[in-house]
Amino acid sequence: MAVPATAPERDDAAAPTAADVTETAALKRPRVKKSVSTWLWNIAVLIVTLGLWQVATALVGSPFFPGPVAIARAFVDLVQAGDTSGITLWEHAWASITRVMVGFALAILFGVPLGIFMGLYPRTYENSRVILEPFRFIPPIAWIPLAIIFFSGMPRFAFLIFLGAFFPIFTAAMVGVARVEPIHRKVGLVFGASKSWIIRHIVLPTILPDILGGMRVGLGAAWLTIVAAELAGGISTGLGRMMVNYAELVQIPQVVVGMLLIGAIGFLMNEALLLLEKRLFRWRWQVTL
Amino acid sequence: MAMAGDLISDSGNSSAAAAPKLRVDESHCYGDFLVHEGIRFDVRENEFLCVCGPSGCGKTTLLDILSGNMKPTQGSVKLDGHEINPRRDRVSFVFQEPSTLPWLTVRDNVSTGLRIRRTDAAERDRQVDAIIGMVGLKGFEDHYPHQISGGMKQRVAIARAFVIDADLILMDEPFVSLDQPTRERMQREVLDVWERRRRTVIFVTHNIEEAVFLGDRIIVLSTKPARIVADIAIPLDRPRDPLSTDFIALRTQCSEKLHAMQA
Repeated sequence: MAVPATAPERDDAAAPTAADVTETAALKRPRVKKSVSTWLWNIAVLIVTLGLWQVATALVGSPFFPGPVAIARAFVDLVQAGDTSGITLWEHAWASITRVMVGFALAILFGVPLGIFMGLYPRTYENSRVILEPFRFIPPIAWIPLAIIFFSGMPRFAFLIFLGAFFPIFTAAMVGVARVEPIHRKVGLVFGASKSWIIRHIVLPTILPDILGGMRVGLGAAWLTIVAAELAGGISTGLGRMMVNYAELVQIPQVVVGMLLIGAIGFLMNEALLLLEKRLFRWRWQVTL
Repeated sequence: MAMAGDLISDSGNSSAAAAPKLRVDESHCYGDFLVHEGIRFDVRENEFLCVCGPSGCGKTTLLDILSGNMKPTQGSVKLDGHEINPRRDRVSFVFQEPSTLPWLTVRDNVSTGLRIRRTDAAERDRQVDAIIGMVGLKGFEDHYPHQISGGMKQRVAIARAFVIDADLILMDEPFVSLDQPTRERMQREVLDVWERRRRTVIFVTHNIEEAVFLGDRIIVLSTKPARIVADIAIPLDRPRDPLSTDFIALRTQCSEKLHAMQA
């Protein structure tokens, strides 16, 4: 469609034309279209990679270097028969996912309101920086020893994942509040809105994209933490646990199945959040990463 | 019965018309720096008043004080006899800069003031539909601000200001960032809306031609500190012709006042 760079203003006021609408369309950043050919290319790259990998495996011929076929066989085996104690791959995966979800939900529950609060009252943040900031730099993995002593089961994982996901969400919400346009606040004020109306209808919509961005970072951190926490032991389920079990048995295909599944689940969760972002923020034309 | 009722409400109206809708009497300083000195004027109900002054005449401060969002150091702004209060009174505002909320559609932007006042949904829709037709945004209700032009965004802001049953509408140079043809069209449109939805309007502008074209009356302010140097009635019929001799005479008169105090 031919879109003029600037649409001329019309003479009659009563009936705006499509020209007004398309005027800004030219300003939008071009997006790479996910066309059929992109899909075909991805599939082709995947097939070629797997083929090369299989060939390389055959050439090496070592049990320490399994190919796609051996890994696929291990996958089917883990899905159908389960691991050495009969726990299936889906049960392991589900255990990890629920832990991440619980910890992640807690991080949102605390991170968003606290971030908004400290964004609205920057002094509270400035005055407690001395505590907040160092905490941010203790990696969640460094909390594992303490978590092992104090908690077991779900609370332990929820705690560790909370620590991993909290700060990205909290920081995103807080920084977002500072970016609320003064004019938007003023619109609320001059029309007589209460403080709570402004928070709900001006601040929250403004920072929602930031929060979602923070959630995607937080989800990465949570997923990273869960595997490390499960490696630490004390439980029989979870993808991390399964991988350690098989590593001890030197059964590499099963370990790789765990790795690939972790990658796939993380990827799908991220895609789900991206999709949510696109749906919610049609009014934004920013390209997401 | 109806006649008696009409008579009573008529006499009520005429006595209300005698008292000013808005009575401004204020002086304001920031620390030792006097910005407004004895700003005193009345605004009649449904009057279109233009306030004209050079840059640095304390225009932003005046609007903050008029909207009730700032207390003057001395004196007060009274609406219907009581001190103006943005939470209680219905004051709307059309800003100079784009002020549409980008996450809301045209329809939701226009209804902002109604939603703040908790108008019920059916009534809200009815009013929003009416005003959207009036400012020529029909068919664009579900568009987001980034999909429409600057002139249309300002129409959204005007609709948002006129849709509520406002006691006072403040306009802060709303057309200054628009190109000349759009600006002229928007001036005609805002008068059109005002004639259909009579409200008390205070329109601040640097542009004398705009003020003479729009206002029932013009107040000319001086600078540092701001004082009222002229209060000129514009008795011309609308629509006004900027090329008519009467128009030019009034414009010249305002210009001279403005330049006299700058010299």
